[in-house]
Amino acid sequence: MSERGSLARALRRTALPLLCAGAVVTALAFLAEPLFAQGYTPREYGDFPIIGSRAAVWIAAQLHLFFAAFVLGVPMFAVVAELVGMLNKEERFDKLAKEFTRLLLVSYSATAIWGAVLVFALITLYPRVWGYLAEVFAPSMWVYVGVFFFESFTLYLYYYGWDHLKKGRAKWVHWGLGILLNLWGTIVMVIANSWLTYMMSPPAEVTPDTAPDMVRFWSAFANATWMPINVHRFIANIVFGGAIVGAYAAFRFLSAKTDEERAHYDWMGYIGNFVAITALIVLPFAGYYLGREIYEFNQQMGTTMMGGFMSWLWVVQAFLIGVLFLAGNYYLWVGMGRIPGAERFQPYTKYMLVILVLGVMVWATPRNMIASRDELTAMGGQFHPFLGVLGVMSAKNTAVNLMILTTFLSFLLYGRANKRPTVSWAQRGTIIQGALFVIAAAIVLFYGVYGYFVPAIVRIGFSVYQVLAVLAAIGGVVTLNVLMMRGAESRGEIRWGQMPDRAQYALLVLAVTFTWLMGLMGFARSGIRQHWHIYEVMRDTSVDAATPALGYASIVISACVLMFLGMVAFIFWVGGLAEKPVISGVGSVPPPEPAAGD
Amino acid sequence: MTNLKVLGVVLGTLAVYTWVANSIPQLESVVPEELSFGADVTEAELVAAGQALFNGGGGCLVCHGLPTRAPNLLTDQGGEGTIGQRCATRVPGADCKTYIYESLTDPTAYVLDGFDPMVFQARVFSGAQLWALVAFLQDQGGPVTVTGADVAAAAEADAAAPAAGGPLTASMDPLEIMRANLCLGCHVLDGEGVATGPPFDGMGDRIDADRIRRSILDPGAEAAEGFQDQLGTMTPTIADLLSARQLEVVVQFLAGQGG
Repeated sequence: MSERGSLARALRRTALPLLCAGAVVTALAFLAEPLFAQGYTPREYGDFPIIGSRAAVWIAAQLHLFFAAFVLGVPMFAVVAELVGMLNKEERFDKLAKEFTRLLLVSYSATAIWGAVLVFALITLYPRVWGYLAEVFAPSMWVYVGVFFFESFTLYLYYYGWDHLKKGRAKWVHWGLGILLNLWGTIVMVIANSWLTYMMSPPAEVTPDTAPDMVRFWSAFANATWMPINVHRFIANIVFGGAIVGAYAAFRFLSAKTDEERAHYDWMGYIGNFVAITALIVLPFAGYYLGREIYEFNQQMGTTMMGGFMSWLWVVQAFLIGVLFLAGNYYLWVGMGRIPGAERFQPYTKYMLVILVLGVMVWATPRNMIASRDELTAMGGQFHPFLGVLGVMSAKNTAVNLMILTTFLSFLLYGRANKRPTVSWAQRGTIIQGALFVIAAAIVLFYGVYGYFVPAIVRIGFSVYQVLAVLAAIGGVVTLNVLMMRGAESRGEIRWGQMPDRAQYALLVLAVTFTWLMGLMGFARSGIRQHWHIYEVMRDTSVDAATPALGYASIVISACVLMFLGMVAFIFWVGGLAEKPVISGVGSVPPPEPAAGD
Repeated sequence: MTNLKVLGVVLGTLAVYTWVANSIPQLESVVPEELSFGADVTEAELVAAGQALFNGGGGCLVCHGLPTRAPNLLTDQGGEGTIGQRCATRVPGADCKTYIYESLTDPTAYVLDGFDPMVFQARVFSGAQLWALVAFLQDQGGPVTVTGADVAAAAEADAAAPAAGGPLTASMDPLEIMRANLCLGCHVLDGEGVATGPPFDGMGDRIDADRIRRSILDPGAEAAEGFQDQLGTMTPTIADLLSARQLEVVVQFLAGQGG
């Protein structure tokens, strides 16, 4: 590929996002003008045909967010993969990072387009809200556009400079570009987060009578839920990016024509799943932080979220997370079929499955549901006489911590399957690792049961002990494992590419589920504002002021997910036409000869 | 064929999730209905409007449908009957109507043993909505004593609220603002005022501007050191009597009181 050709392509790809950014800037400038001539009363809401204004903005925002999460999540592990390749001198990681970035490149334009669609939808359909936000946040909007500009060019330098900055110090410069790309992306994210979190949790001094020009900028920017959302989204973007990459790899695996391609995409799918599930394990803690801050900001909002009209949403969330844990573990268990030596672990998978299924069932047990008098009578009280016991947080925290431990065990067994440690203390080390698991599980169970015998305020604190026990066990086991596996003998190479198709479908289900879950939790976050554009500051007086029920929300979410995946498929297909996939060089190993008598 | 299978898996997964979400009870967050009652409103109209608010946009059922979170209002609570039966005897000297109304407008006024203060935020409801809620709750086993006069008075208060709630002075001089708002009735500055609350002298050395601002906006949230027993005595609506600019003038002035 010629340098001039690369440059031309880069400029072409630059043009669209910049056009979008320019359009947004123009729109902002337009708003900043004193367009409200004397005697003219601006309208508060616009109309959108058929689906209505709310659904139109919802869809635009959701699709922008899906693409944005992907283009923010992928660079994070692209630079990690590149660094692993540099440190271990394994070119396959470098090639993997480059292919990740290629996916990123083609998704970037779509992110910008949907961002522009969202801004224009807000300007035309919700001019009053947008005008208010523009007045409060104008400086940050200009910074946003500027950083977006830098992000675009850094991305093009990062991708198109890959082969030029390949050796010696130049490689570190290239990696530095990747870090810079992540930095710009994170700044863009936290700026946008301030706008949406301000709508949820405006500072206490802002009242309905406060003119927007009197709102102190930093107070509005760093509002109560800003940092929790930043943390939660940062982690969730990694999960999402991993899941989409996994699905991409799964699709390419299923359509692969050669063993080499299958081996490459099998390995890529594993990495995607590994990244997604590893980050997923941390995500509940970030969610807990966010939830706590919402309660701290406004108890009524917190109560509405967990026990009000949103209460049933958490049952659906538990179902989806159950699918994630089961599909993620299933993928690993099936994958162990192509790892020599893994057969010694396979008898344990059924017990792990039992723990996961029981955990999901407990987690999905409802507790504080809005119920009518008739429903309470039918149930025989506020809580179900038997299942009500399992609905409390003691049981749920216990369940989720055991599920996390089980998933970690799956990863551990997967990673150790084809290795035989050679250190002299290997047996003792394994026993200590087992003991760490048992101790962590015992602590989780102890506080889970003890929680039933103490007041709620004490019980809430127990979840911290449970989480710390699990994290300590994970940290201890990983540390021991790294030391034990130094110089370990191989029981045989992983037979990349010899993965059953059903495992690839598990990756696809994971991606669809992550995407759907993201839409669902976005609905929860936005929906707890209820009939307020800006909570208790600006009331929603439109025809769509009532927050819809979960059934309607699920249809919109499903439509958004379908559109997103459809567009991603199209973009990847187009990208694949232009450039050949980068094959990592992961070796496919022929299947073992069947033993005599098989 | 592979493409079709992948499409099938995606569509099937989406269909299952959509079906699950549509299978559970469908709860919509209702917008509280604006009420335009006058003095001629009937008891039945008030109770019906109150019921709609209680079960819908008021969000009351979030806690009061759950006996573990808040006292049950519609069924017996602790052997004392429903709220309409027990409201008149809850607080000596306060009749049922006053008790419920004050409980709504000042959730910390009468907290039942074993429960936390109510999270209901009366400030986002109109007077007519609040009286409709009182009427509905009285109707749960007791006589309704809310009248059209209560509603009319509340409507007048609502209409006057912008004037009454507006700044008492247009001045931007911090001392004038504080004098006009009777701040020196409880705080001392340069020998002026009454030493009931924390002195303004040296305030900037003790706490920062953010804390001062919070203390004005939400006086009941945090006690000043040495004045814990005074917590809750400062007028909670004091900030409503200041413009945003006046608030900042006062905050910065007090933050500068040091040395």
